[in-house]
Amino acid sequence: MLQKKRIHPLPAAGAAVFALALAAAPGFASVYTVHVLSVAMISYLCVLSVYVLLGLCGQNSFAQAGLWGVGAYLAGNVLLKTPGGSAAAFLAAVGGTALVAFLLGFAFFRLRQYYFTFASIGLMTILNGIFMNWEAFSGGAVGMKGIPAFSLFGWTASTEQSKFYVIFAVCLAATALILLLFRSALGRSFMAIRDNEMTADSMGINSLLTKSIAFAISGALCGAAGALYASLSGYLSYQSFTYNQSTIYLIMIMIGGTMSPVGAIIGTCVITLLQEGFRSLQDYMQLIYGLGVIILMIFQPEGILGGGRALYERLAKRREKTEAGSV
Amino acid sequence: MVIQLLVSGIAVGIVYGLIAMGMVLIFRTVGIMNFAQGDFLMFGGYFAYTFNQVLGLPIVPALILASLCMGAIGILFMRTSYWALRGAQAKAIIVSAMGASIVLKEGARLLWGSIPLSLDKVKEGSVTIAGATIQWQYAAIIAIAFLLMLLVYVLLEKTFIGYIMQATAQDQYMSSLSGIPVVVSIGMTFALSAAITGICGGLLAPIFFLSNTMGATAGPKAFAAIVIGGFGSVPGAIIGGLIVGLVEQFGGAYISSTYQLVLIYVVLIIFLMFRPKGLFQEKIQEKA
Repeated sequence: MLQKKRIHPLPAAGAAVFALALAAAPGFASVYTVHVLSVAMISYLCVLSVYVLLGLCGQNSFAQAGLWGVGAYLAGNVLLKTPGGSAAAFLAAVGGTALVAFLLGFAFFRLRQYYFTFASIGLMTILNGIFMNWEAFSGGAVGMKGIPAFSLFGWTASTEQSKFYVIFAVCLAATALILLLFRSALGRSFMAIRDNEMTADSMGINSLLTKSIAFAISGALCGAAGALYASLSGYLSYQSFTYNQSTIYLIMIMIGGTMSPVGAIIGTCVITLLQEGFRSLQDYMQLIYGLGVIILMIFQPEGILGGGRALYERLAKRREKTEAGSV
Repeated sequence: MVIQLLVSGIAVGIVYGLIAMGMVLIFRTVGIMNFAQGDFLMFGGYFAYTFNQVLGLPIVPALILASLCMGAIGILFMRTSYWALRGAQAKAIIVSAMGASIVLKEGARLLWGSIPLSLDKVKEGSVTIAGATIQWQYAAIIAIAFLLMLLVYVLLEKTFIGYIMQATAQDQYMSSLSGIPVVVSIGMTFALSAAITGICGGLLAPIFFLSNTMGATAGPKAFAAIVIGGFGSVPGAIIGGLIVGLVEQFGGAYISSTYQLVLIYVVLIIFLMFRPKGLFQEKIQEKA
């Protein structure tokens, strides 16, 4: 049965205002702030990939930073070693990472729940080992230098501001696509698997194939993030693509809330603000960050969005009650 | 060379096995994988350093005191990062444990600095057996590990406290009905787990050096040990740890030292593919 979802006016307006404010940011913010925002949006794409996998499909993976790295190195290789240009590099990163993720998913999703999570930790370490040691592909421990900025039809995104808008456009497109996915039959079969895999199987969903597709979609998002990161920073090192980075993405989505892409936005913003805001405290920054994560989880185990939604519903119920009382 | 690698592999492996055993004890009781276990290892090492190098105690009493301190840390960890969240979804508890892991890591850096430290070996020097030079520390690690396993076995299987802990692991609700204070019992389990892991930190420190990222490298290897051995099985965790240790030492020497870490996970994934429930399989089938 298709249920028409009511769009809540308040969250929708909030999202629109947020997007507009973000789009206007390069007009008045400093170059440093714009750079931080660009990096945050790249993180957001990776967090969105965790949303697809964990929030929609219920599978917990620690390999997202590895897939991000695959995308980044693929884009770097295409840009440096072939005449293909930026568009080809972007497509190669998205398609290539999705394909890698699909094949890996097909092999690994025979394992369920915790076992898959462990295999993904292993995968993350293996990918990091490959980035560190395979010199022909990744430049080894030295890394990959001099990756050109994004360019299309003769126009080059040379300033921080123009890079910001390229990343912003990709983020908007990705968010729109994921929202479409949420309402599609594929998205609903993801959610069926999340809620109960055996029941989903018995309703005729091929859970292995579906989970692999979810992994491929999350791979495509990570690949896009990787390609953008490669041309934003111009330099790739295996030290960026670690297990720790994957745990940060998980923390971001859990802080925001796993039920919607809005949770991914909130989580990315909160963690970026925590990290940037406490930068002046230098030594204590990481400690406060860790304590903040514990405290947020204790008081909001469903994430900030979950807490906000519970509050919204309670207020709505109270309003209904008072309206009913006055009649 | 082979004997040398064998001894170091068993010594390092049995330590991974003990860390894995600590995780399994927690997992059996509360059904959650503890993502901060590696940091217990690091913190225990630093406590041993404080007692041994700063206060000048001999290494054995220092290790015992360090394990007692880690027991307290384990209870603190359980109260802050598990008990407050016990009603929430597993993923929320995993994330709070990750937060705790960051706090422990950064706390250690602020308290003890970021320069790698070392402490006394249990016994200095080495012995030559059949042409192979074996450090006494490795032999001491193996002996202490066996002693610890024996102690844990006696505690769990022969004492009243052990019965309480096992009952809680089997069914929390039922054991609360029979008058067991569940919070105390779970706290004891966390304390035991942290204490064992803390001693391991003190034992590994003279070999690998003490730094605040020590846990981040050892923790995932203990995960690998658990999966290879079989989820939730204590003997499986020890055997899995030994396999990881031996693969690490022999693979590093004969195959490739740059891909040492990769090799462990390749073995892990091979196990997951062909024997997904580990060497000691779970007896319970999946329920709908």
